[in-house]
Amino acid sequence: MQDVQVEQQQKQATGAALLVLVGLGIAFALLVALLAAAKAHTGPIYGEANMLYAALVLYAGAATLYMGYGVAGIERYVNAASILTFAGFLANTAAVAHRWSIAGRPPFSNMYEMLLSFVWTLALLTLIAERAYKVKIIGSITMPITVVSVILMQLLPSDVRPLVPALQSTWLQVHVTLAMLSYAACAVSFALALMFLIQDNMKSESFQALTSSGMVAIYAGMLITRFRSGSLAVTAYDLEQKSEVMISRGHPLFIRIPDLGWLYLLVFLSALVPLVLYIAGQLKKDGSLFDVASKAMFVTLMLQTAGTAIFIARVKNGQYGAPEAEGLFTTALPANPFLLAGMIGGIVAGLLYLLLLWRREGLQRMLPSADILDNVTYKIICIAFPLLTLMIAAGAYWANQAWGSYWSWDPKETWAAITWLVYAGYLHMRITRGWKGRRAAWFAILGFGVVIFTFFGVTYLLPGLHAYAAG
Amino acid sequence: MGLKSIWSKVHQTLASVRTGIFLIIIVGVFSAVGTVILQRPTSEPEDLQRAYSPQTLALLDQLGLTDIFHAWWFLLLLCLFCVCLILVSVDRWPNAWKVYSKPVRFAQPSFRPSLPQTVKIPVKDEASALSVVERVLNRFGLKPERVTEDGATGLYAEKQRFSVFAVYLVHLSLLCIFAGYIIDGFVGYRGNIMVPEGQALGQITLRDNKGGETRKTLPFLIRCDGAGEETYADGSPKKWWSKLALIENGKETAAKTIIVNDPFVYKGIRIYQSSMGQSSTPRTLNFIATPSKGGEPETVEVPLNGKATLADGESLSILRWVPDYYVQDGEVYKKSDEAENPAVQLGLTNAQGETKKLWILYAKANTTQGQDAPYEFAIKSATWAKYTGLEVSHQPGQFGVWIGVVLMAFGLVIAFYTQHVRIWAAVSEDGKLLWVGGTTNKNRERFKAKFEQIKAALQEELGSSAVSKTNHKIEENTLTKA
Repeated sequence: MQDVQVEQQQKQATGAALLVLVGLGIAFALLVALLAAAKAHTGPIYGEANMLYAALVLYAGAATLYMGYGVAGIERYVNAASILTFAGFLANTAAVAHRWSIAGRPPFSNMYEMLLSFVWTLALLTLIAERAYKVKIIGSITMPITVVSVILMQLLPSDVRPLVPALQSTWLQVHVTLAMLSYAACAVSFALALMFLIQDNMKSESFQALTSSGMVAIYAGMLITRFRSGSLAVTAYDLEQKSEVMISRGHPLFIRIPDLGWLYLLVFLSALVPLVLYIAGQLKKDGSLFDVASKAMFVTLMLQTAGTAIFIARVKNGQYGAPEAEGLFTTALPANPFLLAGMIGGIVAGLLYLLLLWRREGLQRMLPSADILDNVTYKIICIAFPLLTLMIAAGAYWANQAWGSYWSWDPKETWAAITWLVYAGYLHMRITRGWKGRRAAWFAILGFGVVIFTFFGVTYLLPGLHAYAAG
Repeated sequence: MGLKSIWSKVHQTLASVRTGIFLIIIVGVFSAVGTVILQRPTSEPEDLQRAYSPQTLALLDQLGLTDIFHAWWFLLLLCLFCVCLILVSVDRWPNAWKVYSKPVRFAQPSFRPSLPQTVKIPVKDEASALSVVERVLNRFGLKPERVTEDGATGLYAEKQRFSVFAVYLVHLSLLCIFAGYIIDGFVGYRGNIMVPEGQALGQITLRDNKGGETRKTLPFLIRCDGAGEETYADGSPKKWWSKLALIENGKETAAKTIIVNDPFVYKGIRIYQSSMGQSSTPRTLNFIATPSKGGEPETVEVPLNGKATLADGESLSILRWVPDYYVQDGEVYKKSDEAENPAVQLGLTNAQGETKKLWILYAKANTTQGQDAPYEFAIKSATWAKYTGLEVSHQPGQFGVWIGVVLMAFGLVIAFYTQHVRIWAAVSEDGKLLWVGGTTNKNRERFKAKFEQIKAALQEELGSSAVSKTNHKIEENTLTKA
């Protein structure tokens, strides 16, 4: 009796999933069209902006096909997806090359350029993981990340800026290249660890708790730093200068969007509900709470999407006041890359969870076996860790040339060291204690969480010397 | 409890991997805390005062949480971790050394069951069986040797034996890095100095942990022979440079033009370009000199440390420059370094060598009128000296750090990309059964696959079905206990 019910749910859910995907596709096409209209494309056809735009479209197509493969399990999709990924990768390479030749240096000096290189690396690693390790489904996690990154890049100031003296160093370029490579490898190991947990038959409830914890962390981070008595603080942006308005060195001017803070508090609470229900369900050993939690998950996802849409509508060229300064100031999406990245990240995580919830069996058929996934995760970390080590060493050497000390415990440095420790712990436990399977997978997930905090959280939440990167 | 038993207890605690992991987790947690709480050495005192209430700040200061990374207990934690690393390595060293220096070349029957991969294949006679094994192993890139022990003959093949040292290399590299950092913590220093163009200074300002300042005299003077900046078309800075010379015992011993990212290294002391500014001391001052008896006024430019000759042969020099003055009891004193309200004392020397001292108190009246001199002077303009902001550091421990980094790179490559593979073969006493066994110290899955290939090749060559077994239980544990 119960089995029949489950099967029925499965079928209905599949229909709903396809509907959601089609809806997403349309929403995405609209967004792309809007962006295209917003950003006039000038210059030669092979120019960076056009190539990046081509890469965006190709990556988006690949991401949709990979996710479609995840939902429907049709092998043809994945072949087409990898061709699209490869084409997108070529366009991405052209964009990198064009920028490199114009700037006369590798593109690593600001957030825009770092994302450009990150996306390139991630696409490359996806292709490698697919070819060399036969992990076909990996694109359904990594390609949405590239799409979100390229969209973010469209919003960031992209003009080629000359390097200030401290950044004119070969060691810096070595440092950032290694950082991008190792962070991308960490991202891949994270995706593999998640797939391992799926193949290892971890309960869907646990995935739901993981997803909602991530969402809660994102919105808690936003509220802690940006909630000002009901308003949401965003940085003021000078549209003519194409830069943030600064009060003094290192202190940007925050203006307040009224009432948006309350909306985000509501979104935060809605993200908290599934997590609370999960904990309550665990404590009471009551399975029925999980169904309620699933519905709550859907509600928070809707709220998050609505919140993001309202955020974009109100931030785009809006004018707001600040208590610190008189008059109204404009703001713009480019001034708030981290807020946007957080919101979109939350939505993507939620969608991936729904995909898992509805298509678990199909996914499990398509994924490689748990043993293979476990082993490949380990191998990828074996690549990421030496890169991470050399990245920190190159950074220390650069700091020693530029600032007079190889280690000054600024937050970015410290968190890079903590990241290193976590992955060192993973490898140590694996090699000497034989930690495998679920424990190792959780360790890999923790490692990537720390990487995300180091990359985004430190720049956004903690002050430090690495302020160059925020531009 | 005797001293000996206390020591053995301490030794036992410190020589465990568990203690090491516990210590490093504590270090990690405090490091994370140190990035959340503002730290004195990396933030401005005003930022701290803005962020915390006075009571909280006092409490944080008392607990040492505003300068975690230089606190004695943080260094102690690092030291304890080092001790732990050393003891753990020393305890496990003899075993690794034994594997390296006296490898088990002949697999005694008692040793055989401990191997994760084994196979038994019936054969016709010993000599032909072993030569088949030799051939197969050679094909797989392993070079077997014949070993005889207690009259029995066997084969032994191995690869990358040095791989057993990888973990010691990584531990040693960590020790080098920590040792370097700890040495710098005790004997290293870092401070800054502002040198105006044309001057030589030798005292740097160190920032101490409580936000105060102490001074340190360098073993040489730094003279700035020039400084400048270049900007891009959009006005953002492109290059900062300073031409520096070092003066030791009154003699110039070294010189270099430094830029950002290219410091001056002299006797272990490193000098960095960190900022650039305009000094409140002028390079030259321009005066309008009007003869008191009447006549054409003339403009004269006087260098701060030089003199200029006026039209009638008298020479003019600047005796004192006070950027921001106040007067008390008829004396001129300096109030601040801002050149907002300057006072200049001029020396006018006539042909007889008599010098007349004249004051211009700029804010009061820009003239020397009424001071009984053949000229009246007024300040017309000034050219200002540049100063260069230098960071000076002495960190002898950094060589330990760089050696550690290089060792770690080697150690990690060996740890991840090499493995010690060992394979033994022997034939039973009656000459009818060939036994082959193998093990590795890491990457067991791949070795297992390779061993299966070797097994298949052997079975094919020997033309017989084999009795094989794979010992799964032991697989994970053999090396863990070593």
